[in-house]
Amino acid sequence: MEAKEFKVRWVMAIDIDKCTGCGACMVACQAENNLAPVEDASFKLRVMNWLVVYELSNKQPFPDHDIAYLPRPCMQCGNPPCVSVCPVIATDKNEEGGIVSQVTPRCIGCRYCMAACPYHARYFNWFDPSWPEGMEKVLTPDVSVRPRGVVEKCTFCHHRFMQAKDKAIVEGRDPEALNDGDYVTSCAEACPNGAIVFGDVNNPDHAVYELARSQYACRLLERLHADPQVYYISRREWVRRQLDNYLENEQVKG
Amino acid sequence: MAVDRRGFLKFVTGVSAGIMVTPVPWVLLDDLSIWTQNWPWIPSNVDGPNTFVSTVSKLCPSCVGMKVRLVGDRPVRILPDDNHPLSKGGISALAVAEAQMLHSPARVRRPLKRSGDGAYVAISWEEADALLAEKLGSAKGSLACVSGDETGTINEVLSAFTARAGSQNFYLMPSEIQPAAKALAAMGGEGQFGYDIENSDYVLAIGANILESWGTAIRNRAAFKDAHPHGQEPTVPYVYVGAVQGNTAAGADKWIAIKPGTEGAFALGLAHLLIKSGASSYASDFSAFASLAAGYTPEKVAELTGASADGIKALAAELQKARRPLVITGSEFGQGTPVGTVAAGMAVNLLLGGLNRPGGVKLLPVAAPVVDSALSRAQMMEKDFVAYLSRINAGKEKAPEAMLFYEANPAYGLPQADKMAEVLAQVPFKATFTTFLDETAMLCDLVLPVPMGLERLDDVATPYGSGSALYCLARPVAPMPANVRPAADYILGLAGKLGYSLGFGKWEDVLKAKAQAMGANWKSLMAGDVFVSTETVGASLSFGADLIAKSLTAKTAEGDFALAPVHKLNMGTAKTAIPPYNNKTIRRWELQGSEIYVAMNGATARKLNVSKHDKVVVSNKSGSIVARVNVFEGIMSDTVAVLMGLGHTAFDQFSKGKGENVMQLLTVGFEPGSGQSVWAMAGVNISKA
Amino acid sequence: MEKNYSLPADHDLFPEGVQRCSLMKFMGWLGFVGIFALWGLYAAFRVLSNGLGETAMDDYFGFGLWITFDLAVIALGAGAFFTGLLRYILNIDPLKNIINLTVIVGFICYSGAMLILVLDIGQPIRAWFGYWHANVHSMLTEVIFCITCYCIVLIIEYIPLIFEQKQLNRIPLLRHIAHNLHVMMPLFAGIGAFLSTFHQGSLGGMYGVLFARPYVYREGFFVWPWTFFLFVISAVASGPVFTVLIATIMEKFGGKKLVSWEIKSLMGKIAGAMLFVYLIFKFADTYAWINNVLPAAGLTFDQNFYSTIYGQWLLWTELGLCGVIPCIILLTPSLRNTPSLFYTAAVLDCIGITINRYVFTVQALAMPVMPFDSWETYNPNWAEWGACALILAYGAIVLSLSYRYLPVFPQERKLNATKA
Repeated sequence: MEAKEFKVRWVMAIDIDKCTGCGACMVACQAENNLAPVEDASFKLRVMNWLVVYELSNKQPFPDHDIAYLPRPCMQCGNPPCVSVCPVIATDKNEEGGIVSQVTPRCIGCRYCMAACPYHARYFNWFDPSWPEGMEKVLTPDVSVRPRGVVEKCTFCHHRFMQAKDKAIVEGRDPEALNDGDYVTSCAEACPNGAIVFGDVNNPDHAVYELARSQYACRLLERLHADPQVYYISRREWVRRQLDNYLENEQVKG
Repeated sequence: MAVDRRGFLKFVTGVSAGIMVTPVPWVLLDDLSIWTQNWPWIPSNVDGPNTFVSTVSKLCPSCVGMKVRLVGDRPVRILPDDNHPLSKGGISALAVAEAQMLHSPARVRRPLKRSGDGAYVAISWEEADALLAEKLGSAKGSLACVSGDETGTINEVLSAFTARAGSQNFYLMPSEIQPAAKALAAMGGEGQFGYDIENSDYVLAIGANILESWGTAIRNRAAFKDAHPHGQEPTVPYVYVGAVQGNTAAGADKWIAIKPGTEGAFALGLAHLLIKSGASSYASDFSAFASLAAGYTPEKVAELTGASADGIKALAAELQKARRPLVITGSEFGQGTPVGTVAAGMAVNLLLGGLNRPGGVKLLPVAAPVVDSALSRAQMMEKDFVAYLSRINAGKEKAPEAMLFYEANPAYGLPQADKMAEVLAQVPFKATFTTFLDETAMLCDLVLPVPMGLERLDDVATPYGSGSALYCLARPVAPMPANVRPAADYILGLAGKLGYSLGFGKWEDVLKAKAQAMGANWKSLMAGDVFVSTETVGASLSFGADLIAKSLTAKTAEGDFALAPVHKLNMGTAKTAIPPYNNKTIRRWELQGSEIYVAMNGATARKLNVSKHDKVVVSNKSGSIVARVNVFEGIMSDTVAVLMGLGHTAFDQFSKGKGENVMQLLTVGFEPGSGQSVWAMAGVNISKA
Repeated sequence: MEKNYSLPADHDLFPEGVQRCSLMKFMGWLGFVGIFALWGLYAAFRVLSNGLGETAMDDYFGFGLWITFDLAVIALGAGAFFTGLLRYILNIDPLKNIINLTVIVGFICYSGAMLILVLDIGQPIRAWFGYWHANVHSMLTEVIFCITCYCIVLIIEYIPLIFEQKQLNRIPLLRHIAHNLHVMMPLFAGIGAFLSTFHQGSLGGMYGVLFARPYVYREGFFVWPWTFFLFVISAVASGPVFTVLIATIMEKFGGKKLVSWEIKSLMGKIAGAMLFVYLIFKFADTYAWINNVLPAAGLTFDQNFYSTIYGQWLLWTELGLCGVIPCIILLTPSLRNTPSLFYTAAVLDCIGITINRYVFTVQALAMPVMPFDSWETYNPNWAEWGACALILAYGAIVLSLSYRYLPVFPQERKLNATKA
């Protein structure tokens, strides 16, 4: 299970200590990627959200309680559990940058990838999407609307990557060496706290280069060897401890 | 030529085989796969040229700046604006959904009139004009007007109109700004409190939800962002003191739990310690204040607030050590704050030398009104709508003949909302200028649709919480629907028809005059720039010791448990309800189906003998709600936290019928001293359902 | 030939020398079964026209009752390939007395599973993408290929039986086809055994490769995780007795002896032997899972179970009550030859395998892998049960028709000779 090597590796570094759980990233994601609103969104196991903000607790009783919020996009794993299982190559990790693609027009909706993903990053269209009358006018032209019966997930706003590359080409720059900030995801852009940082982890000029190498940076379920491209940063040990399953006697990093 | 059976079969076989070797079957299969993505009922994307327009949100209470992305003439995205001082590259969970709300099912798209049987019928603007002119004409001298816009110059138009109609009853919907303005007045100051959070080196929020809903929240969060380099010690510590470990506490470096409504006492506890270690002031009533504060020893404050005495001492020591500390007081849910609480917080700032210094509290200039006979900002702040309704309810004042609402939803958003709606029912004629069919619209005889902030020309002048006086314009970026009319222009026209001279015929001229009064350049404003003034108003403030002392004598709330409403911007406001795209941000154990969850800590749950998911009745003399229990340890003991923004009975399928409105449980009281209506300290009883 | 009015109206279509109930009674039975089929058809209609939201599945439980049902019937249908293998390749001749039934049961199980899959995938119109855009690394691709190919093999195996129907057999062409297919049957049995082994295995492999799902993840041999082999062996450990159970049920319904006890006992012995092999591997696998897979994932054994619905009792029931006990019964001649014990063991065996498929499908998804995530539960709804009922009804109809009109049981005449 060797992860593919990429010259450019887009990663997200999410500072959990800076996230206050406001939800702006989730709304921005929906609007950017043309997710349909739902009347009753309280059955969370059926609600499509490419990005979900989880609530973490240190499990101490009042007044020693501490809280943290963890935004969870698709991890864009270096060794994605979902890609090899797809029978129709509707999801792949091939393009420079290491984003796990999702080709919804090819997806047959078998949901095997969802079973494979321990992060619950993949969502199924249980019904056809529907917008209140007129609201379809707010659909962005960048991301196709998906019909029922297919699986979808966060793409790190891949269309923005394409736009950034196009822009670089037009301006005569190397599209494989974008500047920090040329390409950011909608959630990273929206976050008022700057909790989400996006960039090329292989490029020392990008902020994520240092952040991913921070002593406080951990990835979710690292020991399952999915090699995620999302780093979480927290100075709180209890938070880092909840990013992976630890046996009682095990020490946490950082 | 005759075709026999055998020949026919051969032909069919031949054709079939022939087709199979052509690309036809494969093309058909391919088409089939394409058809499966292109069902006619699934909307498809429409491309067009992209443009970006900078403007400001009139929907979000944080007045966040934003960049609207248009594709052709359609706004498709609300993006943060790096250059706007109230955005600084961030956006709120509410404003980011604003483009979608242009097409909200709850939008009112044509004037509606309530018919005899209570149903609403669409009417033309001409009919609406005639009805309004007639009713307002006959209500002359007995008109009241309520505005839900805190920062717009339209309040001058509305208040001037009300004045010309022979009435002084112009009100703003209650928020944090009124108690703050009254506190400032009581302390002998002028202008408006400004909070220089960016330049502070220690930020202490007592009650005020500075990282979620208090003041210019997105700007506050930009300061928080800069103060918290990734994976490093914060350069500026943020401390939150409040009953609930909400979003502000989640970001803050330290959370100190206190009982709801004890913010003032907590501030006095800090003042006590600061004075004890030598803090002093030249203010005229310093000695009065010092003797008041002397009673608030850490032990006493610990008893009153539920915080630990050591924690209070440590906090005071940290404040003293800081060079540019800033203390911000407010209510956890952005309203109902006693004036004395704000004054007590200000007193701590004064003791810390924080007045008009960088990183402290500034007194910002407020421009004089530009519309003839409009109320000044200070006068508007004096007016207390809840007190007014209470007087009507008590029979101390006659209900007005007519009431106008402008983007205000008192029937949902006021404490004891049902009671308030009953009082409103005593008003014979009510009309509302509104974007959405809200609870108040459902009480009105006439509903007049107005454009959203994205469709109209409007302004924002120095929102409460801002660190400097500023002025900017909301510019129309989206085409206005055919049958909505901008309220300001409409009222100017109506004033003309009724013979009330307001001195302006066009809204744009009012704004131009306002810009000039603020000292801003119109052209630059229209280009999307924000006018920011560094001016402050000089003053030597007193402590308002007398006011604080009286305020703190307020009775403690009835009931065995304290109520802590939780305000989050993703839930929308009383004016917007829950935006369609924000439904998904409601947390799992905040709402399930139509059932609201209320939160309490484990000790409280054990005391009540309830566990997670149990049904309880939360009640007091104002009302009661049925809810399920969520056990969450980040809450003060004997306190129940209830999310605001649920329990709508109007709007659309995304808001209506979901949970309960916590406002039903908030009991209005009147603050001794200021007489201000307050409801930050509600008590409830909880029993198993 | 003179008409005998005491015989059913369609008696000319019956196999030679057997008795069947009246046509009215038979139609009544089909009508009764048809009610279940209609329920399922309605569910299918709802699912196909509105979407899979009609089921109780969700984003945590992307697999549910249907996949469990598919895996279970495919495992239980393994009697077909395994008996074919023993009969045609290893030449265990007595099995010819039950081979027809195993083929029919296999056909029903596989075609039924494919029908369910049509409902279960979100875009049935794109089902052929499995061939067109095949991902050779996916176990599911292997499943798609093997299952469709094997279904074709089962049809080929089923055809001669149909053509042996008394009236059809009079047509020379059909008779010749049937005869020639019979001659080639060892070849198809071989292909079938190959295909079936691989896809039984790949069904297990589907779970074993899920390296980020510690509940089902297994290390393996070459490209196959251990579950690949476990699924093959467990299928052959239950398929034979499942066929016997079907035959016995048919005997009860028809009131006739169809398969001799010796054959049943032989099938039981075979299954018992395979179950024994399976249990050795399964216990070894469970031990390795507890001691290698789980600690490597930072998990403890207890963390894999939750409340009653996903409690440890499932594991102990699967391995003990439905594993060790039937194994002992089936391998001990005296116990095996006590019919009540034999049938109990057969039923337990089938239940055990079904539990195994269920926990691999559902419990694996219910278990939170992220430490801050929570256990979720799944309960199938009427639409999912309806579709399963449709398949069961479909199976009952195919079996009833085959029994009534086709010479399925070579021993039937002899076993019922005294009565006739």
